[in-house]
Amino acid sequence: MKFKKTQVENPEIDMTPMIDIVFQLIAFFTIVSNFDQTKADERVKLPRDPMAKPPEVKRENELYINLGYVRNKSGEIVGSRSQPYVFYQGGDKEKYTVVEFKPILHQEARLYGQEGTDPKTVTVVLRADKEVPTGLVQEMIKFSQEASFERFALMATQKTD
Amino acid sequence: MAPMIDVVFQLLIFFMLTLKIIEPEGDFNINMPIGQSGGPPDMSITPIEVQLIANEDGTLRSLNFGTRSLGTGDAAFQALNEEILRQIGEPGNPQAKDTEATIDADYGLNYEYVIRAVGAVTGRVNPETKQIDRYIEKVKFAPPKPPAT
Repeated sequence: MKFKKTQVENPEIDMTPMIDIVFQLIAFFTIVSNFDQTKADERVKLPRDPMAKPPEVKRENELYINLGYVRNKSGEIVGSRSQPYVFYQGGDKEKYTVVEFKPILHQEARLYGQEGTDPKTVTVVLRADKEVPTGLVQEMIKFSQEASFERFALMATQKTD
Repeated sequence: MAPMIDVVFQLLIFFMLTLKIIEPEGDFNINMPIGQSGGPPDMSITPIEVQLIANEDGTLRSLNFGTRSLGTGDAAFQALNEEILRQIGEPGNPQAKDTEATIDADYGLNYEYVIRAVGAVTGRVNPETKQIDRYIEKVKFAPPKPPAT
């Protein structure tokens, strides 16, 4: 019997579907990873409440204040509960006490003024840790008001269950 | 083709590694007239006052609505939510727009209880429709009372 000699060719794998999928994945990850929340400090353990709704309209000007604690690996507070810190980038220190943060608020208000933004239109986004004494949060609001900020947003995570 | 695939994989890995799963966070959409509000208070509307009393360690000792204690724990916040609903009649009542609630919390109280009280005062998530029913939008904080040192 005589067979027809088949020509053995090195078949090239069709890459197109794979590339399609990989592009899809990239698109997915770019959308999902939001760089918006980079101002949020992950050391702050926010309180939870189902009523906390992400804002529908993006606020124009926001000043984030992260008020929290340094915690160890098991989540316990290092230091005293009555002494939370403001985590702030752009100053000469990395963390400030509430009282130390007062001049920074005035400085921020001045900077907004120089940019031509009225501090009254800036929303102070207050991300306070769930264990911070309420009085200190109120002091922070008071200091912000003294620095002529008027709008506030108290942040919480939405309960999922 | 091969270099492009290389780069695309690099990108893919970069985005996968930088991905942080963050819980959605939001605020309460409240007006916060802090301090002395201008003008005489409107007498036609019963003011709502919520008082939060703290233990030494910052936990909640008692949640008071007006002069009545609602207890502590989840049930207390649920009761507060129901009391508020009774006050305003129904969700979205136009009169509720002018109602102002004052939250008077102890200085050392954990902030989480204040947020829960704010949540209970501002409304609830309707269990049937999963929509938010708004109760009160104006929430005021009583001035802080620093502990005597």
